[in-house]
Amino acid sequence: MVNDRKDLLAEHEALETGRESVFNMEYGDTAAQIGEADTWQDKLRTLVRQNKLAAFSAVLIILMILIAVFAPVVAPYDHLKQSLTERLSHPSMAHWLGTDELGRDVLSRIIFGARISLTIGLVPTLISMAIGTVLGLWAGFYGGKTDFVIMRLADVMLAFPSLLLAMVVMYTMGGGLVNIFIALSLVNWASTARIVRSQTLSLKEKEYVEAARSIGVKKWTIMFRHILPNCLPSLIVLFTLNIPSAILSEASLSFLGVGAQPPSASWGLMVVRGKKYLFSEPWLSIAPSVAIMIVVLAFNFLGDGLRDVLDPYLKEQ
Amino acid sequence: MLSKVLKRIAVSIPVLVGVVLVIFVMLRIVPGDPVTTMMGEHVNPAVIEKISREMGLDEPLYVQFFKYIANALRGDFGTSYRLNRNVTRIILDSFPNTVKLSLLAAVVAWLIGIVAGIIAAIRQNRLLDRLFMGCALMGVSMPVFMTALVLQYLFAFKLKWFPVSGFDSLRAMILPAIVLGWNSAGSIARMTRSNLVEIMQNDFIRTARAKGLREHGVIIGHALKNAMLPVVTMMALQISSMLSGAVLTESVFGVPGIGRLAVNAIETRDMPLLQGTVIFTTVLIILGNLVADLLYNVLDPRIREGA
Amino acid sequence: MKRSLSLVLATSLAVSMAVTGCGGSSNSGSTAGGETASGTQQAQEPAAGGSGTSVDTTGFLNSVQFADIQTADVQKTSKDYEVPMNIYDRLVEIRVDEAGNSSIEPSLAESWDVSDDGLEYTFHLREGVKFHNGNDFTAEDVLYTFNRMLTAQGTVNSEFIDQIKGASQLLEGSATELEGAEVIDDYTIKVTLKEPFAGFLACISAPGVSIYDSEATEAAGDQFGLDPSVTVGTGPFRFAEWSYNDQLVLVRNEDYWGGQPTLPGVVVHIVPDTETQTMMFENGELDIIDLDYVTDAIDRLQATYPDQIVQGNRMGITYLTMNQRIEPFQDVRVRKAFQMAIDRQTILDALYSGRGNVEHGIFPHGLIGFNENLPAIQYDPEGAKALLAEAGYGDGFTMELAADSSASDTVTMALEIIKDQLAEVGITAEIKNYDESTWLETRKSGELGSFLATWTADFNDPDNFIYTFFGNEEKTTLRSINYGDTEAMGRVASARAIVDDDERIAEYQALEEKIIQEDAAWVPMYSRAHLFAVSTRVQNFVPVWSGIGDKFFNGITLAE
Repeated sequence: MVNDRKDLLAEHEALETGRESVFNMEYGDTAAQIGEADTWQDKLRTLVRQNKLAAFSAVLIILMILIAVFAPVVAPYDHLKQSLTERLSHPSMAHWLGTDELGRDVLSRIIFGARISLTIGLVPTLISMAIGTVLGLWAGFYGGKTDFVIMRLADVMLAFPSLLLAMVVMYTMGGGLVNIFIALSLVNWASTARIVRSQTLSLKEKEYVEAARSIGVKKWTIMFRHILPNCLPSLIVLFTLNIPSAILSEASLSFLGVGAQPPSASWGLMVVRGKKYLFSEPWLSIAPSVAIMIVVLAFNFLGDGLRDVLDPYLKEQ
Repeated sequence: MLSKVLKRIAVSIPVLVGVVLVIFVMLRIVPGDPVTTMMGEHVNPAVIEKISREMGLDEPLYVQFFKYIANALRGDFGTSYRLNRNVTRIILDSFPNTVKLSLLAAVVAWLIGIVAGIIAAIRQNRLLDRLFMGCALMGVSMPVFMTALVLQYLFAFKLKWFPVSGFDSLRAMILPAIVLGWNSAGSIARMTRSNLVEIMQNDFIRTARAKGLREHGVIIGHALKNAMLPVVTMMALQISSMLSGAVLTESVFGVPGIGRLAVNAIETRDMPLLQGTVIFTTVLIILGNLVADLLYNVLDPRIREGA
Repeated sequence: MKRSLSLVLATSLAVSMAVTGCGGSSNSGSTAGGETASGTQQAQEPAAGGSGTSVDTTGFLNSVQFADIQTADVQKTSKDYEVPMNIYDRLVEIRVDEAGNSSIEPSLAESWDVSDDGLEYTFHLREGVKFHNGNDFTAEDVLYTFNRMLTAQGTVNSEFIDQIKGASQLLEGSATELEGAEVIDDYTIKVTLKEPFAGFLACISAPGVSIYDSEATEAAGDQFGLDPSVTVGTGPFRFAEWSYNDQLVLVRNEDYWGGQPTLPGVVVHIVPDTETQTMMFENGELDIIDLDYVTDAIDRLQATYPDQIVQGNRMGITYLTMNQRIEPFQDVRVRKAFQMAIDRQTILDALYSGRGNVEHGIFPHGLIGFNENLPAIQYDPEGAKALLAEAGYGDGFTMELAADSSASDTVTMALEIIKDQLAEVGITAEIKNYDESTWLETRKSGELGSFLATWTADFNDPDNFIYTFFGNEEKTTLRSINYGDTEAMGRVASARAIVDDDERIAEYQALEEKIIQEDAAWVPMYSRAHLFAVSTRVQNFVPVWSGIGDKFFNGITLAE
């Protein structure tokens, strides 16, 4: 999508490097000094106190996830049940959001669509961030040639406009949910790798890491036990902000005809297929659009709120 | 300074090669014979074989790759399967429209993003903050093609302020630019806000306040100047997302730009055209980032002194 | 600092030049093509390239297409017919009168004689016809056109003339001349067929057999069809301008042999988004839109603009295949049950508001040879279940509905409905999505599952339908039907040579009944009406007889 992760990366880097130039290819020079004093509970309390919107968003997201999980219970109808005699019926008491072109209940489809869309938000984000975290740790910790190769690879991936790259991947592999996961994961690991690497670079100079090293703790243990936990705040923020862009990316891919495939309706696909009826039955496209908008905004507000609390540069006055 | 620049350029070269390699390989593992697909319904096997030969598709992959690189360096991205025309020509014909669209969109993004960012920063964590950030983020929260469609419906169809489609006059360009720009505005607003919030806590701002300058003067005079630097960098990095967005915006508004080419290429399975379009755009982004880095160095006094 | 900055900018500029090829050393191929071409062009002013319009398009008709054309060289495309139809002429044209009777009308050929054995066609060509570049049209041009179609690189429509004696030899390269074409004099050409073929005249009326100017086409080389200034024909419009992904401009040919067109010109806009097209039409930015692509807006448009909807017939049949190579479709009872399990009328009603006819055979309504007495295939889920049980599939079976990812949403919806209907009789159909190339390749290899497609007439003759699908083993494999009755297919092939038309049609109708009603080779679905919406100022617009979306612009007038 257009709000691709490079924006997040750019924001992150610009903040991270502070007044330092991005011209400097050694990103980690002034990297994270994670607030070590506050406990998680403190931070959460700050979040709820300071940013009601973020807290509300968190509740909304949890609610959405619950709806997705319990879709068969929550949904008033079977989302695949066609009823050609009832096609395109307007919103009514029986069908709150009307029915679609095959007479299927739109509300039920949105509820079931939440499963697919949230999965599309979560799975590729998890995969890409896992890959990115491991590679970032590895590059930052080992440095040298490993670092150079991984980071140039990341540069290559970051150079592509993400939507175009995803389109190429989908072109190569064809449509379908699994391919969407692969496409989005492939496109998005690089920004995580960069951020984790820059934090690793600074963290590995810390005393406790030096100490662990000197007593012969294994490198991978140091990386995952001592460095990774300190990268978590940034990763959490990044995770929260990556999910909505994956959801939107899928919608864009569907629009371009290389996304999810019917009848498994993601919200994106519902919008695309519903937009043909924009003039006569607008709810068909507006309803899933609103669903997307709510989730995307919720994740964004939550992410911003988390950043305000977790980010070392924007700590409380 | 010069050595830094050269180093930066040197680092870009493996990235450029990597970009070409990735796309090249990816497009060659596509299932199916490109010529068969291209010819569609009316087919003669002898003809297919002949065309494959003419296109050099029977050569080993690495030969094809080096030939491609050699030609690309001379600015020749090959011949489109479908259009039977030089890909570079096709791209250069469409490119100006994408540039126009992106520049206009950048202006829109700046306007929305910075205004919203400033207001949000002044009213940090209050209603106005949320309201303006919400508005700025709205553009990123809807699928672009829906935003486009809704704006098109309201302003072109209902109100008739703009033509529905086309790109031949400034008036026609406004709607696409708003759609694309709004989409980038969220990030800029967010950036501006957080930078301003941070900078306003700095000593020199406190000094300025103490000197009795009015709040708004303080913000605009001092803080903004300092807050803009990272935003400038981000604009450069946003060339990439702009071009992603252009793919969608151009399709909805019928803008004959480079994003449309990519979509066309995918729809008609025109491999050389897709390859050329992606590589061209990506190279452009790399160069854009290079230039932005250099600009940043020029703009930022501290770095200038340091270097 | 300043100096180092400018150096930097210079360097980066140099890099960008090298990479993007702005330096000007590239593109030599296309430029050279353009130059050669402009040398041959005499009468007309050169058209502009690139963006911006050099032609004054006031008073032009505004038409629209979803995607830009690939070429205007109709020997190299099997779908972009609109420009070729208007800038070239064919030897003959098909005309369908209001009663639905189809006839072959003279065009570039003023008259023709056919020998008694049906093998020799002598065409007497129209004299005084000029190409857009001022060249005279002669028999040499016809010969050149045939030759080029069989020999030039990347041509696709050769099947329209492969009945000419020696055509296959020339195509394969075992001959250097087309044996069956002989120029008698400047305005007479004799064509000999390899065997009698009653559909020949209909064949050469296809847009793919448009007549080219031997001199200009040869000089234009690979730029023919791409560079408007060198793409000339004898048609009522000339190709004036092409700005890729933006618009195509056609300007009337004032010296047209059939009289100057009333329409000064046409702008074909390229607009990929359907909603955008509809809004443009309603805002008066477009004069004609093809409602095939906005099926969902038809009802609304028809209600809003009842007087502005033009309906045409479509000689095309939508069919659902059953691959006899795939278990259990080799059993005719299963195939018959499958035919009975699908409620075609409901699908037609739901997706196309009933605009069209349910079909029962191979030849759709309107086509020569359409048989209204063909026994109807009834929707009968109970009967289907019984037949399935009889065949040993009482518990149903699992099968594949193969969807091509480039198919329209309406086709996808039809598949979803079909899937639902099949479930009623116990058949579990899974919709599998293929990308276009895999779909096509699997289909050609004869291994594709059931798919839904539409065949629209290239020329008005049953041969174009039955021979395409059931002409021989290769053809039936090519569409993954794998019809097994070689004897019936042999009859289809030999029917082509029956000289007497009534006898030939009777044979086709007998075969149609055998293949579809008796052997249940496919599920005939429906033929759909083709609707267009036109602006209030458009008059005399007539859709093409075959129902393809491409339009003839000559004859349309604009009221102001």
